[in-house]
Amino acid sequence: MINHPPRSGQTNLDENNGPGLFEELLEAAPDAFVIADEQGRIVLVNRLTEDLFGYSRGELLGQNVEILLPARFRDGHVSHRTHFTASPRTRAMGGAADLFARRKNGLEFPVEVSLSPIKTTEGMHIISVIRDISERKRTQTLLAKQAAELARSNKELEEFAYVASHDLQEPLRMVTSYLQLLARRYKGQLDADADEFIAFAVDGAARMKNLIEDLLTYSRVTRHGQNFTDIACNDVLQAVLTDLKFAITDAQAEVKADALPVVTGDRPQLRQLFQNLISNALKFRSGKQPEIRISVLREGDDWLFSVGDNGIGIAPEYFERIFVIFQRLHDSKTHSGTGIGLAVCRRIVERHGGRIWVESQEGHGATFYFTFPVKNTKFFERESDGHD
Amino acid sequence: MIEILLVEDNPGDVRLTQEALKDNKLRNNLSVVSDGVEAMRFLRRDGHYADAPRPDLILLDLNLPRMDGREVLKEIKEDEALKRIPVVVLTTSKAEEDIIKSYNLHANCFITKPVDLDRFIQIVRAIEDFWLTMVKLPT
Repeated sequence: MINHPPRSGQTNLDENNGPGLFEELLEAAPDAFVIADEQGRIVLVNRLTEDLFGYSRGELLGQNVEILLPARFRDGHVSHRTHFTASPRTRAMGGAADLFARRKNGLEFPVEVSLSPIKTTEGMHIISVIRDISERKRTQTLLAKQAAELARSNKELEEFAYVASHDLQEPLRMVTSYLQLLARRYKGQLDADADEFIAFAVDGAARMKNLIEDLLTYSRVTRHGQNFTDIACNDVLQAVLTDLKFAITDAQAEVKADALPVVTGDRPQLRQLFQNLISNALKFRSGKQPEIRISVLREGDDWLFSVGDNGIGIAPEYFERIFVIFQRLHDSKTHSGTGIGLAVCRRIVERHGGRIWVESQEGHGATFYFTFPVKNTKFFERESDGHD
Repeated sequence: MIEILLVEDNPGDVRLTQEALKDNKLRNNLSVVSDGVEAMRFLRRDGHYADAPRPDLILLDLNLPRMDGREVLKEIKEDEALKRIPVVVLTTSKAEEDIIKSYNLHANCFITKPVDLDRFIQIVRAIEDFWLTMVKLPT
């Protein structure tokens, strides 16, 4: 507590006993301290104020505190100050607004200011603690810029995948159609070589068509995602098992499932996720009767789902690679497909704020795990803002 | 003789449509124009199209040079003399906005060109059968 704020040019509060604890603290403080009287006249500053503003103490004392502000804020500040003095309480200045201070040389810098009233025998005084936040602002701006840049390049990449796959369809349609026409009309009329060449070309075009369609599917996961709703996973699973009825019967597979929870997500995508994982389990079966088990357990804030099988399994060196688009571990004669299924799964799970991975031993089946946040509210809000 | 107008700028698609219609049971005459401006001149028998037949059916691509399919559709459907001719939008687009826009402009139906040749031939023949034998149109 200050009893006698000095009016002279010095910070020495107790002139008889040299600098007291208060001055020592004030001088050593890492922030600028400016103490003003009820009229807004500066009565005391510390060393950091001099450093920060470029004024000497003598130049500041007796001046209105507005000297520390850019000219455009000065009038407003006078009325704010009067208002503060009328009902003084300790608070941060400016609310959420960005505050700026002005150096003697005219340069402005962003600041954070907290205000505290103090009662003295000479009336009310106001302590302003001023912190230079230039560095923090610079970091914030840089981070925001980098985040925006990242978002932009992601979006651009997505756009590229979409446009490329979309526009490639048109010329491909020509190639495919005319190859088919050629094959149909002239098969057996040219020599055996010609028939073979045409067959290879038809086959290549057909594979390219599948790749392009898969690329479109992949880019649609985020492009055409729907808003999140509450989804009963049991219903989704039943729908998937109905869709796969023939494949399941065909493989004589046994499918067992736990009771599954209700989660928040994109229904068609959740369905696709289960469908891809169960189809894979059926596709990569071993000689044994296929057994597929769908389980779930609660792990902290996540649901941990698993789809396990007793199929051919995967060697550990491929655990990561299988989730990359168009990566395949088998030739197309053994197992058909373009290698899109798990890449789409990963994209779907990640869009829902979860993770997906596999645990397996070659020859002893594989179990795919994925997590789903129990509360997906955050993602739901983000999605419904339309920022996809 | 059935008169069909195909508005299509891709010669590959023109030829495929011709192939698809060639062996069909209906006897047809396919006229082809390659952009929207030509399409409107054909329909209004403008200039060297003075003797053009009035089509019984229009197959319209959406993305055309000079005047695109959406504008052609709008003009046809706002023209008292032309608006009753069935217009089938036949395009590579699957975009929801193109579908909605086409129906809003009173397209009679919207079909995405399939990649597969057999499907394409099937569809062209189905269009012809449906619009020219099953549907009752004003004479």
